[in-house]
Amino acid sequence: MSRPVSSWVAETLAILLKEWRGELRTRYALNTVALFAVTTLVVVSINLGPLGVSRAALPVLPVVLWLILLFAASAGLPRSFVHEEEIHTAAALRLAATPSALYCGKMLYNLSLIYLLELLVAPLYLMLLELAVAEPVTFVAALAAGGFGLAAGSTLIAAMVAQARIKATLFAVLAFPVLLPLLVFAVQLTLGAVAGDPKNGLVELLILYDGTLLVAGLMLFPVIWNP
Amino acid sequence: MSHRTAGEDEIDVSTTRKALLWFLWLWIAAVTVIGAGFSPLAQGFAGLQGDSPLSSRIVYFHVPVAIASFIAFVAAGVTSVRYLRRREPRFDRSSRAAIELGLLFGVLATVTGAVWAKVQWGAYWNWDPRQTSIVLALVYYGAYLTLRDAIEDPETRARIAAAYGALGLIVAPFLYFVMPRMASFSLHPKPASAEMASPILGLVLAGTAGQVALFAWIHNLRCRQLALDERRGARPEEDEP
Repeated sequence: MSRPVSSWVAETLAILLKEWRGELRTRYALNTVALFAVTTLVVVSINLGPLGVSRAALPVLPVVLWLILLFAASAGLPRSFVHEEEIHTAAALRLAATPSALYCGKMLYNLSLIYLLELLVAPLYLMLLELAVAEPVTFVAALAAGGFGLAAGSTLIAAMVAQARIKATLFAVLAFPVLLPLLVFAVQLTLGAVAGDPKNGLVELLILYDGTLLVAGLMLFPVIWNP
Repeated sequence: MSHRTAGEDEIDVSTTRKALLWFLWLWIAAVTVIGAGFSPLAQGFAGLQGDSPLSSRIVYFHVPVAIASFIAFVAAGVTSVRYLRRREPRFDRSSRAAIELGLLFGVLATVTGAVWAKVQWGAYWNWDPRQTSIVLALVYYGAYLTLRDAIEDPETRARIAAAYGALGLIVAPFLYFVMPRMASFSLHPKPASAEMASPILGLVLAGTAGQVALFAWIHNLRCRQLALDERRGARPEEDEP
């Protein structure tokens, strides 16, 4: 590409800002994701909380945390591209933005949404379920790396789904097999962080999967986006 | 059939082709017969009534079809990338056919694996890392077919499906190779072939060659069938494999 990198960065940031401006006007994704997360959190907390089951169920808790994050994310993330098709702004966006910058901007938006979600859910979860984390740094690393993969994968799949019918159902069908290896790694790492004996190499594996998803997104997005 | 005049997709039943096909059937039959009847028995496997470990002989089918399914998915990924580069419909047909067959071989590997697992490990399904992986692979590529059904416009369908198929080039190796190896515990033996007695390894490889050739043959047939369907103007998505 002949254009300077700084203009690409500016374009990416412009997309990110546009997404947030639109989001703060409607607050569709924020409301959906937050309400979904809080509702499921309450249900889990009532049934699995300190009074609910015995501490023997402890290994289950990190799994449930990631399930909440996954489903909350899949309720809100596909919106970024589906919405463009619904309000017929996709064509204008095709003219205006470089595909790779568009992908990165949307991905950053989804990433910020997921990190906000994790910031809301994870502390509440630890508090409500009285879950003590033996290695807080590993725990945060698992959330950060897992969230990154969720955002990168969801953005790519959302771009595909936006051009199909039955978008919402299709997103789950397409995204879950892609995100499942990521989720398996993230759950194992979180389990390790809670118990205090994380397995070696899991963080690296998680970052590797994040990286491949991001690179695959950058390579595939232009052909998905441009007819 | 008024369309049989056109060139490359015509069903060509030349003598060489017939001979090759017979050779393929004989090859697979030979591997099956030698494998089931005459191969040395692998150590450390259970027998049906506690006698000789005959169950291990399913390896000559189970491992080859599993490898064939992986090769089919990789082939689909490669043709998907070629479609994205060249935008020729034949690559789209080719990757679709490869994924359908990869699913078929994958289901065969799963079912034979489950039968073997019942004999060897006592349960049809144990969520062993490899079992988990193949289920994820089947779900991933099953979703590919759903994705195709959900897009009306043929060009968009081919493009998006090719992107998803190309993404499989990253997902499939993770599922087939990385995830089973990173698990701390697996019921499956290590894939290190050095541990296998050489006649057993030889037969597994021969079986793999046979299954892959079988895949190539059916794939070729399916591609031509899809091409004919498209030429007739029928919606090829309507007839299932």
